[in-house]
Amino acid sequence: MGKAVRLLVVDDEQHVRTSLACWFREEGYEVEVAASGREALAVLARVGPQILLVDIKMPGMDGIELQRRARELAPDATIIIMTAYASVETAVQALKEGAYDYVVKPFDPEQVSRLVAKAAERYSLLAENRALRERIVAAEPHLVTAGTPAMAKVLELVDDVAPTETSVLITGESGTGKELVARLIHARSARRFGPFVAVNCGALAEGVLESELFGHEKGAFTGAGGRHHGKVELANEGSLFLDEVGDVSPKLQVDLLRVLQERVITRVGGSAPIPVEFRLIAATHRDLEAEVASGRFRQDFFYRVNVFRVELPPLRERPEDVPLLARHFLERYANQMGKPVEGFADDALAALVAYPWPGNVRELQNVIERAVVLCRDTKIAVFHLPFVAAPPHDLSLETVEEAHIRRVLASCGFNVAQAARQLEVDRVTLYNKIKKYGINRP
Amino acid sequence: MKVRLLLFEKAPPDLGPAILAALPEPLEGGTVELVTMELGGCWDRRRRQLDAVGLLELVPPPVEGWVHLGLVGNDLGLSAVAYVFGLAELGSRRGVVSWARLREQDELWELGAVTRRRLLVEAVHEIGHALGLPHCAVPSCAMHRSLWPESTDLKDPRYCPSCLEILLPPGLSLDGP
Repeated sequence: MGKAVRLLVVDDEQHVRTSLACWFREEGYEVEVAASGREALAVLARVGPQILLVDIKMPGMDGIELQRRARELAPDATIIIMTAYASVETAVQALKEGAYDYVVKPFDPEQVSRLVAKAAERYSLLAENRALRERIVAAEPHLVTAGTPAMAKVLELVDDVAPTETSVLITGESGTGKELVARLIHARSARRFGPFVAVNCGALAEGVLESELFGHEKGAFTGAGGRHHGKVELANEGSLFLDEVGDVSPKLQVDLLRVLQERVITRVGGSAPIPVEFRLIAATHRDLEAEVASGRFRQDFFYRVNVFRVELPPLRERPEDVPLLARHFLERYANQMGKPVEGFADDALAALVAYPWPGNVRELQNVIERAVVLCRDTKIAVFHLPFVAAPPHDLSLETVEEAHIRRVLASCGFNVAQAARQLEVDRVTLYNKIKKYGINRP
Repeated sequence: MKVRLLLFEKAPPDLGPAILAALPEPLEGGTVELVTMELGGCWDRRRRQLDAVGLLELVPPPVEGWVHLGLVGNDLGLSAVAYVFGLAELGSRRGVVSWARLREQDELWELGAVTRRRLLVEAVHEIGHALGLPHCAVPSCAMHRSLWPESTDLKDPRYCPSCLEILLPPGLSLDGP
């Protein structure tokens, strides 16, 4: 303990500084000394000690004033006040202003050893908490919005429901960012230290989804070579996100309902009940009320899932967000691809805002990625956008040809043979054009 | 590393030689000298204690390969700490230790076996600091911190393997190079 802890002794009496430096170095601390408040502030800025032992009575800047100034420079540093019997009242004032504790000179060795050890422990806890907070903030998904009323409402709902244990149903068209909102709810909940496990229920056949959700034992079915832990089990003490919950078959709805009620699962091919404890967040692009009315979705399961609803507005209803999102994705892809693309031409931005975005944010993201691939300038032009029917008429044939080749190559994943087939030219011709226009694989 | 004991006060004649003889590896017993020096400059009349920092300054700097340890029977204190059993500046090869607080309650003038053992443990402790060792977390190691005389009884008058590793030159062990 204590070896890495830096301690600063501030006292105008040289004898006190020397003896305490000697004493605490024996204890394994790194000790700095200062003869005045002014000197202490310089050491504080230079060395950044975690613990300050400050004499309350010093000529010039006294201990109380030093404490105030030190707080501004190092808010996490622990300050212990040293005092004589005569100035205990002043020490109490220091405590009121945030000092960790005070000791009366001459200290009892046991008392001061314990006090400083506890202060060191407090500092490492504070540092650990700060690091954790920073990691959580960094890990929290960022919902890009210009603050449109519809999205402000979404964020308000997220803040309301996140700290609770309530099941959440997120609805919205495909590509509106339902998983992002689910991750945001998890990140702002008490379960943020636990896992966030996402399952796309629409992408898997019933049998596969069952095994994916509940796991299976070795030999449960042909190909089950070993034990597999299901997503529900993996979400223990965290959040389970069921995307496209409207696509879950009626049989699996019953199984999931039972898990939600009993909080126990059984792996496929197994018999042992496994307790699970998770928060359910579900999402769908379907109208679940209509699905219930038509009998395709169980009403009891619907009530379990639809406890608190967050509705994500489609992008066309919040065009103010388009420029912000476009710039966000532009920055991301330009960085990823190492291209000097910095912005949008005015007409390109106007086209982005005017477009109805049936595929929502996901479509916008794909469009920007593609535009960055194609762009050879510092600004995305309108002809880099696939939904703009025709390029402007004042472009040269070569410019149009180059843009078209780039578009086709990008759509073929830079497979030259495939692109040549699509362009209906032979590969040698395409290679020559690639060379001519200096097109490089991203 | 040879140890020179400097007796700043009158002590039983066999005390110094007994300590030197019992010093653990890698220390070697060197010499015992009675120092006739005026300690008044270190004496705090109000606290009836010797100032440990002042006393440490009276210990002469050693030549290469030696450690100097001053022994006193008076209580030691620091200007900001009520009492200490001993003191050494890390790595300075100089230290001081007092048997005043290590005595058993019924001992007046003579130093019994328990006190002598405590003094040996604390002498080994301060020599360890003088050679650069900080406090050690191993409870039985001489370098473990002691705040009461009784806690000294729980320690051995030797260094634990981790402390020994720091004290021994690289590539050397007590079993040989």
